[in-house]
Amino acid sequence: MDLSEAFELFLILGSVLISARLLAPYVAGVYTNSRSRLERVFAPLEKLIFRALGVDALRVMGWKEYFLSAVIANAFAMALAFVILMFQNFFPLDPQGFHGLSLGLAFQTVVSFGTNTNLQHYNGESSLSYLSQMGAIQFLQFSSAATGICFGVAMVRGFITGSKGLGNFYSDFVRTITRILLPFSLLSSVALVWLGVPQTISGYASVIGIEGIRQTIPVGPVASLVSIMQIGTNGGGYYGANSAYPLQNPNPATDVLELYLMMLLPTCLIFAFGRLLGKKREARPLLISAYSLYALNLLVAFLAPLPSAQAPGIEVRFGGFLSTFWTVTTTSTMTGSVNASLYAMNPLAILSAFMGMFVQAAPGGVGSGLAYMLMYVLITVFVVGLMSGRTPEYLGLKIGARDLKLLMLAFLIHPLIILVPTILAYVSGAAAAVNAGSGPLGLTAIMYEFASAASNNGSDFLGAAANTQFFNLSTAFVMLIGRYAPLGLLMALSGSMIGRKRFFTTGLDTASFAFSGVLVLSVLVLVVLTFLPFLALGPILSYLRGMVNGFG
Amino acid sequence: MGGVTKPRGPGWLGKSNLTPALRLALITLVVCGIAFPLLVTAVAQTLFPYQADGELVKLDGRAVGSNLLAQQFTRPIFFQPRNNSASGVDPDITLENALSQAERVSNATGIPLAQLDRLVYENVQGRFLIFGSPYVNVLKLNLLLIQSYPEIYGKYG
Amino acid sequence: MASSAERATEGPGSAAPRGRGAKRDLTAELGKSEMLLDSLRGLNPLSLLSNPVMLTVEIAFFLALAVALYPQAFGRLASPDGRAFYVSVAALLLLTVWLASLTEAMAERQAKMSARSLRKMEAEVTCRKLVTVGWERLSTLVKSSELRKGDVLLVEAGEMVPIDGEVIEGIATVDEALVSGESRPVRKAPGDILIGGSCVTSDSLTIRVAANPGETFVDRMIQLVETSKRPKTPNEKALSVVLLGFTAIFSIVIASLLGLGLALGLSLDIGILLALYVCLLPTTIGALLPAIGISGIARLQKSRVLAKSGRAIETAGDTDVILLDKTGTITVGNRRAVEFVPFTGYTERDVGEAAFLSSWHDDTPEGRSIITLAYERGFVPRELNALALAESSAFSAATRLSRVKLVPSKGFLVKGGLGINQRERHRRKSFDAAGEIEELEILKGAPDAVKPLAKKLPAEFDTIVDGISGSGDTAMIILKNGIPLGAVRLKDELRRGIVEKIVSLREMGIRPVMLTGDQSLTAERIANEAGIEEYIARAKPEDKFRVVQSEQSQSKVVAMIGDGTNDAPALALSDIGLAMNSGTQAAKEAANFVDLDSDPAKIIDIVVLGKQLLTTRGAVTTFSLANDVAKYFAILPVLFAASEPALRSLNILGLSLHTAVLSALLFNALIIPILVPLALRGVPFRPSSTMSIFLRNFAIYGLGGLVVPFVGIKLIDIVLSTLAGWVA
Repeated sequence: MDLSEAFELFLILGSVLISARLLAPYVAGVYTNSRSRLERVFAPLEKLIFRALGVDALRVMGWKEYFLSAVIANAFAMALAFVILMFQNFFPLDPQGFHGLSLGLAFQTVVSFGTNTNLQHYNGESSLSYLSQMGAIQFLQFSSAATGICFGVAMVRGFITGSKGLGNFYSDFVRTITRILLPFSLLSSVALVWLGVPQTISGYASVIGIEGIRQTIPVGPVASLVSIMQIGTNGGGYYGANSAYPLQNPNPATDVLELYLMMLLPTCLIFAFGRLLGKKREARPLLISAYSLYALNLLVAFLAPLPSAQAPGIEVRFGGFLSTFWTVTTTSTMTGSVNASLYAMNPLAILSAFMGMFVQAAPGGVGSGLAYMLMYVLITVFVVGLMSGRTPEYLGLKIGARDLKLLMLAFLIHPLIILVPTILAYVSGAAAAVNAGSGPLGLTAIMYEFASAASNNGSDFLGAAANTQFFNLSTAFVMLIGRYAPLGLLMALSGSMIGRKRFFTTGLDTASFAFSGVLVLSVLVLVVLTFLPFLALGPILSYLRGMVNGFG
Repeated sequence: MGGVTKPRGPGWLGKSNLTPALRLALITLVVCGIAFPLLVTAVAQTLFPYQADGELVKLDGRAVGSNLLAQQFTRPIFFQPRNNSASGVDPDITLENALSQAERVSNATGIPLAQLDRLVYENVQGRFLIFGSPYVNVLKLNLLLIQSYPEIYGKYG
Repeated sequence: MASSAERATEGPGSAAPRGRGAKRDLTAELGKSEMLLDSLRGLNPLSLLSNPVMLTVEIAFFLALAVALYPQAFGRLASPDGRAFYVSVAALLLLTVWLASLTEAMAERQAKMSARSLRKMEAEVTCRKLVTVGWERLSTLVKSSELRKGDVLLVEAGEMVPIDGEVIEGIATVDEALVSGESRPVRKAPGDILIGGSCVTSDSLTIRVAANPGETFVDRMIQLVETSKRPKTPNEKALSVVLLGFTAIFSIVIASLLGLGLALGLSLDIGILLALYVCLLPTTIGALLPAIGISGIARLQKSRVLAKSGRAIETAGDTDVILLDKTGTITVGNRRAVEFVPFTGYTERDVGEAAFLSSWHDDTPEGRSIITLAYERGFVPRELNALALAESSAFSAATRLSRVKLVPSKGFLVKGGLGINQRERHRRKSFDAAGEIEELEILKGAPDAVKPLAKKLPAEFDTIVDGISGSGDTAMIILKNGIPLGAVRLKDELRRGIVEKIVSLREMGIRPVMLTGDQSLTAERIANEAGIEEYIARAKPEDKFRVVQSEQSQSKVVAMIGDGTNDAPALALSDIGLAMNSGTQAAKEAANFVDLDSDPAKIIDIVVLGKQLLTTRGAVTTFSLANDVAKYFAILPVLFAASEPALRSLNILGLSLHTAVLSALLFNALIIPILVPLALRGVPFRPSSTMSIFLRNFAIYGLGGLVVPFVGIKLIDIVLSTLAGWVA
């Protein structure tokens, strides 16, 4: 990374931070039922939807009802998408005449998109109809992003003084879509089209090339998908090669815009956290640690020499810098889109990617990243905070044994669902079936698959090659557990804060810079202690063996 | 002390939360999965039809490819795209790559190297504000060759 | 009667007041061998069930033992040449568990020693129980263990009070040496509280038993230190969950490493893997956690405070507000009369003599000091003898008045000289007749209490009163038949060291609030001197309850001190209540702590101890986890050395591959005894703000925890590899 690249990096992150900060009051307002300037557009639409749903949008829910409503709504969404994928040839908008997906792949795909993971075991341009891309993929991308944000916001509500419940899921979900995801996606879709991303429902263009060779130009409703996939930290691309594919990400301008969009909402939600609490200062440690951990990931990735623009797996228009920057960002935000082959990355960049997916909160996926960061804050407040000589408390709420049960469980699910399936993949021979050897590269690819699934990231080494029964089923289960188990536990934790006695404390100042520093160190030690041996056998070993990318 | 009202409402699975959840999924499907992409399509096709259709390039009124997709060139008289990259359809090559290919093109066509080099430099793109590093779009460069040297590339024109 | 008294004194209760010598015997009794035996008993896996970390280490030990005995049974996970290594690993694992168990045994011993010294107070004695039959009161001899609450006992000079009780008849001197540590006879009169274990040194007392045997404070305290019965405090419970969580996480890590090693065909050694496992487990805190809690209670006992629960000690650390009674806590308990100030038309003598009369039946320290001052000035009233027949009402905090009414009689003049213990002496002296005494009512009280009762107020009333209060002293007004004669100036003196204690409270972010019955000028003056900003003047005991309530409604953790029955409701309501041993039974029942020395300022020490306990637990936990980073770097390169030589570059410490694992394990085991003093004494505590305590400890135990093992393991490795070199 040279100086001008460093400047680019600061410019992009600077604009993310500034716009996230500016948008925070609006985003927070969505969850406090504040009026927006476009109330006349939103309100009637929402009223209509609430009437159609037949729910009282103002009724506050406890954590169980909130969480259950979300899970059921997600299940229905996955079921609807499943039907579309399985029977896409019976529905309109299939100009290429693609067949329905196989049962295993369809199941894996809806789970993958329904859980905000977007691990793709298919190539969209050669297997999905326009209706599938819209009605299954984009639909689930909206639905899962909204659900993630709802989980995050609901978790925060437990900590707000005087909260009577975690909010109303239906209201949160609908308002997230109408007031945040749809307007943001509309604007960015149009910007993407302007910058060169296709958006059409006419069939693929077929041309005779200059040398007389027939060429198919796989177009489609791409821009609308790309916008929500980045904004909602979904990451699943229209094409198999994701944002490395030139039609999805045609030039550095779209690349920078897409990078910006990935970081925007996760960052904005941290600011909104402070506003929702009514204690803006409290957003500080979350922001500092999310960005410090992200910066550390960038630093590790940029320590290694960057791949050249001509290197295999790198798109010329992005070069080594934007590709590495993207790889770190997509794994720190749980987006999972890629603009270069992961094989092209230096082992240190892959190490960063792993760290991003292990931490899950730097700044993490929309909503879920916030929830995980709160998990780390609470663990740190307890373990390290005991040293302040007071019963550890966060925002005046004392942390007790039951809270820690939920917190420790939420944390340890992650290593469990990454490591156990990785071993199973080798033992069952599934790894060998996708040509993953027992060396560091093979282990990296397999472990990455499950780290990506467990953290609901979605980037992977295996791609469509993993369309095997083992990987479809195992990743689907890992994604489901990785999504709902820890967040469910954290929602239970947050729900138990409702009505808990608050102490106006002269204790640990969690908003201080000092605490932020302690938090960063704690997260780092916690994650390193859990995963170091496995990183050592994967990317660290590759690096120590002198490999510069994954093609070796 | 804020009074704690126990949120009333449905317990475990029941009709009271199955029905709204199903309706919510359906509404989201219609609004976000159907209406939204169609709306974007309408806006895109109205405002930016060229980009929306995939930046198809035409030669003599006939679409011959897309700026955004590598086209296979096998003859030495053309600049050729790379054949490995992440997407497999990378439409661009680096400036150095283009300059190194210029020599072959010059040998094959007899166009002076200096002229080809100039053409390559004129066709450099890829910087957005300060982002990215210079690269050359192969299809654009080849089309420029065809248009600039009709006597050599006549049969492709 | 005499013979039965002799029989009654045959038990241990007859012993003369025990000094500190007795404690030394106890130490010998609870010897080190017993402690060692306890520590070995602690190795029983069943006794480790409550300590999952150590149980896991023990399981790892048995596995290591199995590997050492039958390496061939473990296939390629173990090599038969590595027997010596496996034996060393197993030995070090056993050492780790034993050190943990020994630490706990040490702490228990420390606690049991102080507990047993407390238990001595309730030694079994034979005592005289009084039973009323008809018109007669009969005395029967019973064992103290058979006493029940409400029983009435007669305790004579030279006997030990068998159990907590209240004096209902008689006045006697009592030695509370065993209880309060100070061998100074205290006078006890009806209404006073006696704690079991004190000795009556003169006269005799009739007392009513206040608690069933086994339910006294001492009993509760003893239960607290017996680990098997000791309930975990909320923070201990939460911390145990964290430790269990980390045990689970590292179990997942090691199991996965083993599974992955087998799946990938890496040549991993089970011995090294077990060593890594145990090194990662939070063994340091796992070993020290029980000791920290026990030693906290033991330290509290040593400072002669009885706690009713470990939870209360922990809560003390969270204190936000402390209500401090001015008298006894901030100022020396006894306000001393220093001057009689007459109003116009009266002399000092008039005031002094009236004050003398009004104070004769007033048993408060102030009352006694008035008598002393009057004697010193020679203001002994001739109405002295009439006092025996006088109607009197003692000073009460509610009315803030004491009253004496003399009935007409003949007066006497004092014949004898003056001495120190004047009152006692004069009781037995004869007096000369001194003429007739008229009916006389003398009131003594706080200015505002007296004011409405005065028949006419002298013009200088307020000036004099304000003058006295303005200088920080307290004025008592003397009314004779409703006419104000003058004021008594009572001087308050700050307790030694109280200013420093208040400063440290403020540094810890704790708000001291002073409560006093004095009027606000006096209160302000004292508060200023002590460095307290908030005070509540003219406070009645009920005000304490109100203040506790209002602070708690603002979610503050409130600590307070009390001794009277009036304080009981507030003590019960407050989060931390410290009752004085000299206080009433009701107050002691309501409080969480009882101070045997009746020193209210100890509440501050309790707060500090509470903080220290939490800090120590947090520090050892953080240290324990931070240590793991270095242990990874010591063991991973060796673990992977055979299959992935490239990973040897992780050996950033440059350890010898032959001794690195044992060095890490040895460090892991030795750090336990090294930190035992820290666990038993607590993390050094300097009163300062919560945040600076936190950051200081984080720097020492967090960052230090990251660095120390790197150094320690390296040093151990140098020694071990040198030794290995010699052997080879």
